Amino acid sequence: MRELELYFGPQHLGMVGNFSITLNVEGDRIVKATANPGFLHRGFEKLMEQRTWIQNFPLVCRINVVEPDHMELIYAMAVEKLAGIEVPERAQFIRSIYLELARVGSHLFGLWAYANMLGFDTVANWAMYHRDLVLDLFEEITGGRVYHIYIWPGGVRRDFPKGFKDKIINTLHTIGSCVPDYDDTFFNNRIFYKRSKDIGKITHEEAKRMGAVGQVLRATGMKQDIRKIEPYAAYDQVDWEIPVRTGGDAYSRIWVVRDEMIESVRMILKLLDKMPEGEVYNKIPNPFKWNIPDNEAYVRCESSRGELGLYLVSNGENKPYRAHFRTPSYNHGLTILEKALENESIADVGNIMISLYITAPEIDR
Amino acid sequence: MISISALKPFKAVKYLFIKPKTIRYPFELKEPSMRYRGFHLNEWDKCTGCGNCADICPNQAIQMIKIPELESKSGCKNERPQVDYGRCCFCGLCIDICPPGSLKLTRDYFHIHFDPKTFVFIPKDQETEPEKYVSSEKYSVLKASLSHRKRDYDGFVSDLKYALFEPKRVTMPIIAPEKRKLSFIEQVIGYNKEEARKEASRCLECKLCEEACPAHLKISDYIQAIYEDKPEESLKKIYEDNPIPSICGRVCMAYCEDACSLSIRGEALSIRWLKRYAADTIQDFATALELNPGTATGKRVAVIGAGPGGLSVAYFLRLKGHNVQVYDALPGGGGTMRTGPPVYRLPLESIDKDVHYIRSLGVEFIFNTRIGKDVMFEDLLKGNDAVFIATGNTKSRSTKVNNYEKCELALEFLSDNKIGKPRKVGKEIIVIGGGNVALDVAREALRLQNIQHPGENAAVKTVSLEDWDEMPATREEIREGREEKIQFNPAWGPKEVILDNNGNVKGLLCKKVKSVFNGEGRFAPSFYEEKEMFLEGDMIIEAIGQVPDFSFIPDHLLEELEFTERKKVKVDEMGMTSIQKVFAGGDIVNVNLDAVTAIADAKVASEGIDRFLS
Amino acid sequence: MNHTGTSLKENLLSYFDDILVEISDEHRLTISCKKDSVITILSSLNRNGYNHLALISCVDWIKDNELELVYIISAYTEDSEKGKMNILVKTKIAREKPELLTVMSIYENAEPYERELHELYGINFKGHPRLIPLLLEREYEIPPFRKDFDTRKYVQDVFDKIPFVEDKKGRK
Repeated sequence: MRELELYFGPQHLGMVGNFSITLNVEGDRIVKATANPGFLHRGFEKLMEQRTWIQNFPLVCRINVVEPDHMELIYAMAVEKLAGIEVPERAQFIRSIYLELARVGSHLFGLWAYANMLGFDTVANWAMYHRDLVLDLFEEITGGRVYHIYIWPGGVRRDFPKGFKDKIINTLHTIGSCVPDYDDTFFNNRIFYKRSKDIGKITHEEAKRMGAVGQVLRATGMKQDIRKIEPYAAYDQVDWEIPVRTGGDAYSRIWVVRDEMIESVRMILKLLDKMPEGEVYNKIPNPFKWNIPDNEAYVRCESSRGELGLYLVSNGENKPYRAHFRTPSYNHGLTILEKALENESIADVGNIMISLYITAPEIDR
Repeated sequence: MISISALKPFKAVKYLFIKPKTIRYPFELKEPSMRYRGFHLNEWDKCTGCGNCADICPNQAIQMIKIPELESKSGCKNERPQVDYGRCCFCGLCIDICPPGSLKLTRDYFHIHFDPKTFVFIPKDQETEPEKYVSSEKYSVLKASLSHRKRDYDGFVSDLKYALFEPKRVTMPIIAPEKRKLSFIEQVIGYNKEEARKEASRCLECKLCEEACPAHLKISDYIQAIYEDKPEESLKKIYEDNPIPSICGRVCMAYCEDACSLSIRGEALSIRWLKRYAADTIQDFATALELNPGTATGKRVAVIGAGPGGLSVAYFLRLKGHNVQVYDALPGGGGTMRTGPPVYRLPLESIDKDVHYIRSLGVEFIFNTRIGKDVMFEDLLKGNDAVFIATGNTKSRSTKVNNYEKCELALEFLSDNKIGKPRKVGKEIIVIGGGNVALDVAREALRLQNIQHPGENAAVKTVSLEDWDEMPATREEIREGREEKIQFNPAWGPKEVILDNNGNVKGLLCKKVKSVFNGEGRFAPSFYEEKEMFLEGDMIIEAIGQVPDFSFIPDHLLEELEFTERKKVKVDEMGMTSIQKVFAGGDIVNVNLDAVTAIADAKVASEGIDRFLS
Repeated sequence: MNHTGTSLKENLLSYFDDILVEISDEHRLTISCKKDSVITILSSLNRNGYNHLALISCVDWIKDNELELVYIISAYTEDSEKGKMNILVKTKIAREKPELLTVMSIYENAEPYERELHELYGINFKGHPRLIPLLLEREYEIPPFRKDFDTRKYVQDVFDKIPFVEDKKGRK
């Protein structure tokens, strides 16, 4: 059969995000896939070298639209490490709760994308609605719906408003009460099973070789989570489980996402119970006179897509000398995707891509 | 757990019968949260135009715009921020840096307009633009825009606890009142390096202070140099405008600190103590400053009075290469600084340090020489190309109440204690006056009491026409005086000095003050003659002000000398008096009566003299 | 300091003589080495179980006229001590004609990182199968992430030349 070259994205109905894949197809079988990023390259890392430490905060969260919060956290953690700033205990709890909310919101967004892709519009709209409820919570704490700019070096920008605990619990109960509906209509749906089982399969060995992290890795049976390995914020203060599946295919990955969401909700409730009173912010130096001595730091956290790292270098000035984000989608989108798409059908490109949880802004930065 | 089913998904059908969650905009609106980061609002009266919001804005969305209708005054520029909503990302950094807390984000977020220029606007508040802010009943979302907003709709506002600046000063170590009132030990210990750097790091570089300073020192620069741990750099910056940092670092009136934007909701930056830190850290000014006198011009200038004005004029003129001779009746430099401020505030070594450096530049000091007695004024006029008079206010004024001649005078009292033989003091001392000099006298008298009558019952009382809030002394002085247990009697005026049978002072009879100033704000005290109070005391010191002494100027020249209506020597923009080649500055010219204004005068006069000579 | 880090340090120092090993933080190990030994050190680390390449980064030390490459390595493991370790392997190379061997034979996922550094810093990774542009749309004289790339000048040169669009009335 004749081999054709097919451009998939950035403008394609089956594509989520500004990303493009060049497919070599024979019939509707993919022979070779080449990821083609760069449509969202905004040079954030270069831009960060020209802004002061504090001015970078409104910037870093914009690197990834879907979940700005982990970007804030990773930058704050790196700056704290370089400048030696302590974080009060209550702020650590707030950070954890806030980040888990972000994870729920981000996973709901992922679920929307995935359900939408498979044609489950009902489920997609539920997910979007529930994500909106999470965004309402964010609006309450931070004053912004999408870009929160909430986590700062030294703690968080404002304490929880009065009575906020009950609001979180209410919202989580609303979302939690719909889990059976989600399960029945989507996760245990025969159509979903047929569309995702054994699709985009990668083995455990391949995953490790190609730098998989997060759900992609956990769906191949490995219990790896930075929150457990190197606990930051208040993740070592409560008990929680790492959800794992063994299939390595799209089906397992989406189930890991679902389980993680439920685990996050449980974790938030536990964290809320244990949250201490006290200060939430240690004053950072005057932003106009804030030079951080020569140093470098590599910090990492578990974003909702996997290991997110930041390599930050300071040379004693009032701005970073070099910042480099290690984003989870990078290897998922540029190495694993190419492998996972081989020998699949064109109809499953979007399916696989979203099940790998790829967001283009993270890759391009 | 896994039970794959093809039928169960139909469960979703039940949602057909549930009310939709979607908000029916615009009939139904979603209320933004209390912290919502929407449009800006700037409380016009509170804003000082410091420009910190513009400096921190990561997108350069904020620009400071000159508002001609507003008056630019000390501590408040006539500039206000302008926000470009094409650039703004609503991060709220401007809110967290705003020192007065005037800038706020509201919960409004609708603006629909065909003209892109309306997206650039100068935020004001509902008091300044009442027509743009409507009550929630009159508010209609169909009209919502930057000129149709809700009243009292604050969202993300500044909170001092989370502000990006530090409102609290680094505490200056000060000797405790109980200890310091026993001797003349310098009460302020001074910052060490860490403290100074930490304090310097609070500066927001808005430069409101530089405009408030009469001599316009480059405050922001020298503070930055201290922050960078370069005291030499800092001193160099100070010496560009002020050649007496050791003196000013201790007794400056610090108008800068009143203007400091941090002082609005917190404590002002300790600008004066930081200057003192720079001057005290450096032992040898000459090597640190590397200044040299300018190329010799061969012109001679005589300066009468080695006070702050005289010293500064000598320094500035010497840098321009002129030969300067400074005459003073006292045995050392400093003028009023030498005789007035008590040792616990300004030790003689600090004065000498500044004077020595100016001398090392080649300025000739002729001390112990009184013009009009040892050297004639007319001879000076003949022998020099220009003469600068900075003699200051050297005569104490008296209340002239009955038996006033039994009272002591402030300047003489202070001068004797500082550079002469300390006075014998009584056990109950009354000080008349509410200014800084009166407080110096009172606090000095207290220390002398503690030295001369240790352990005995003794008291110092002050009587001032002005009430607490009008008292001309600085808040700091009043606070320290109260800490040392000086008894204040504000809003009382002296009526008569009462003597006992032997003709010794027995006390002061006072009358209640009705008002100090008349309707025009002029000093014109009025009293309730019938409301009287008797203060017991065996010593009364009058500290109600000082006047200049022009007796050294011959009568025919004095007639030529013009005065302003406030009885100050009239000078032109070059600092020249009505007498040819005679210039003047300091307390005889300005109404502020302090060192830093004298320096400002001296800067003007030295430029004037230089132009006059060349 | 934890046991894993010190034993790894001793282990490395016994095999390699021209490297500098620093334990900067509790679980951060920095190895500075010559550019030729990068491959051997990385494969030794990989054999020791540090099999996850998290990042390859580059810092342009323009004052020293050097580019510094940083390989950040950690482990896929359920052993908590080992899992915490992050190893930074650093090497400095000249800014002019920078060349280095690819590490794709050891860590397969190095491929896009090396491509990115080739594009943004102009480093030539020998043995890399496809050093083609990754993120950018055009070629630059100076690789754009180098410190001497003047972003402002670039913006003026490129975007200021784009003519204004006129509307119907001829206004710009």
